[in-house]
Amino acid sequence: MCDVQAKLVAWVDRELTPDEAGAVERHVEECHECRRWVATYERVSQTFDAYCDAVMAAKTPRRARWVPVIAGALIAATVVCLAFLRARVVPPAVIGPTAAIASAPVPGPPPVAEPILHKSMIRRRNPALHVRELATQEQPMDASIEIAIPAEAIFPPGAMPDGVNFIADLRIGPDGSVKQVRLRQ
Amino acid sequence: MSDDSVPLALPLPRLAAGSAEVTALYRELHTPLLRYLVCLGLTSDEAQDVVQDAFLSLQRHLASDGDHENIRGWLFRVAHNLARNRQTSYHRRFGETLDGEKDFLAEDATPEQVVLEKEKLQRFAAAIQLLTKSERECLLLRAGGLRYREIGEVLGIATSTVGDMVERAIKKLAEKCNV
Repeated sequence: MCDVQAKLVAWVDRELTPDEAGAVERHVEECHECRRWVATYERVSQTFDAYCDAVMAAKTPRRARWVPVIAGALIAATVVCLAFLRARVVPPAVIGPTAAIASAPVPGPPPVAEPILHKSMIRRRNPALHVRELATQEQPMDASIEIAIPAEAIFPPGAMPDGVNFIADLRIGPDGSVKQVRLRQ
Repeated sequence: MSDDSVPLALPLPRLAAGSAEVTALYRELHTPLLRYLVCLGLTSDEAQDVVQDAFLSLQRHLASDGDHENIRGWLFRVAHNLARNRQTSYHRRFGETLDGEKDFLAEDATPEQVVLEKEKLQRFAAAIQLLTKSERECLLLRAGGLRYREIGEVLGIATSTVGDMVERAIKKLAEKCNV
């Protein structure tokens, strides 16, 4: 066994003084056994690195693989919500005044407190306008939707630190269209 | 053995709290710190918390005009101490059965290669269990890119002791698993 062998790991790690490193280098060039040990130590170091990476990968939540799926699902859900809202704001068809009033859900106070209207008063109201007004009242005027979007879905890998998410605020107008989109962290 | 045979990878003459250099330091050391802490035994969430706390401490340190020498070693030392304070999870997970080793194989790796690599890493995990706590910590900090002198500062031991421990640990691993 060579005397230099005790310094081989420190030499591989560049921890020796220039004089010591020079002496070890000259010896390693001539000694087959020490070259073999140096190769072994380098392989052990590489395997240790790979092992640490594997430990980290095993313990880190694998969120990245699901990001495209989650993002797709969110987009699909948004489209369905918008389509649903739009379908509910269809203008009323031409129907008879009595039927329209009867079919429209009229929110109001309990029956006991409801004022009794004379037929003449009812006739003075425009039924079509009334139905349109009720349909509009059913919709929230400024419905808003928040969508959480992981940073990995927007930026390339490594561009943002892990765990950063963004939230997209969508403000939905009465007609179901998107009135405002705001991205925040 | 020399203390400064190779200059530090991060020459940081003067740092200001919140400066671009601190941001660059965060980008460079975030992943190595996380890997070190996770390998020490913290969960991914705990490690994230500790890294955040360490950089907050760095901000306070720089704001109070603290020492600017060897910031990288300083950060690892703070993270190490914060991790040690979480003793309930510390020590218990390093060397557990791996599930994520496939991530490090090429996409076109054959099933045989996958099995061989898995067996190699599991042999290695068993060999790591035979190391002392200090030897494991020395190897982990070395894998994080720290010099022997910096490792000594983090663990509170002499540089020459670090050299002995690293050499002993590498030789043990080489003997126990035929890599």
